[in-house]
Amino acid sequence: MDFMTAIDVGASGLNAERTHLNVISMNLANAKTTRTVDGGPYRRKEAIFRETQVDSPFSRAMRTALDDEVKGVRVESIQNDRRPLKRVYEPGHPHADEEGYVSYPDINVVEEMTNMLSAMRAYEANVSTITTAKNMFTKALEIGR
Amino acid sequence: MKSLFSQHIDLTARVMDFQLQRQNIVSANLANINTPGYKARHLEFEKDLQAALDLSETGAVARTHPRHLPAAFSPDSAEAGLRKELAPRVIQGLDNVDLDKEMAAMAKNNLLYSALTTVIQKDFNGLKQLIQDGGK
Repeated sequence: MDFMTAIDVGASGLNAERTHLNVISMNLANAKTTRTVDGGPYRRKEAIFRETQVDSPFSRAMRTALDDEVKGVRVESIQNDRRPLKRVYEPGHPHADEEGYVSYPDINVVEEMTNMLSAMRAYEANVSTITTAKNMFTKALEIGR
Repeated sequence: MKSLFSQHIDLTARVMDFQLQRQNIVSANLANINTPGYKARHLEFEKDLQAALDLSETGAVARTHPRHLPAAFSPDSAEAGLRKELAPRVIQGLDNVDLDKEMAAMAKNNLLYSALTTVIQKDFNGLKQLIQDGGK
């Protein structure tokens, strides 16, 4: 337990939220992509978060039961969304099937925007925990002045 | 035991430690604000601290009536004291992470911490002045 714990935990949150934002921007950029490297249309991606320990192996050996409760966060995996593809009738499209339908990924721009806002707010919250920890540290240094 | 430094410096330092731990926990809650299934944690120490202050330092005599003299800071009792008896409690899973609540807890914590630093600073400044002016 020390000041760096709060900063490390905050940093893990910043990192995870940044990855989340990358995934969202990938979804928005590929909203109309009908071909990927693996073949087939793009699938919407989702970042899966998971709580995790933030400390090094040494401090893990030294920590107390209370420090076990302080967990950071990380992106566990980036997974494909399972919702079905959107089929649009465009017979002239080069990727249309024999019936004239093209499969587009089902990406809702509004949904991605709200996800982006909540990722941004979570990012700001983590920034403010780091700022607070820094303030406390500065204050503690003033005792010796 | 009587010493140059009064006991409440120890007490203040202990409370500052608890507030630091609380900041760590708030930080963990906010980092996991988007984690599914995460349960928010809270740190509680105020009640235990109060109980420890009401005990005598030997731990035997409790103050059961408001008109009893407080035994906590009797100067001639043995050392030991607050430090050992107190362990803060982490409460899990009352609700999921609530951004407003966590922000409020953090701001409160920050202000209290600043206030306590000022208290300790004043303590030391007073001692310093006493030492400097007492010899004149």
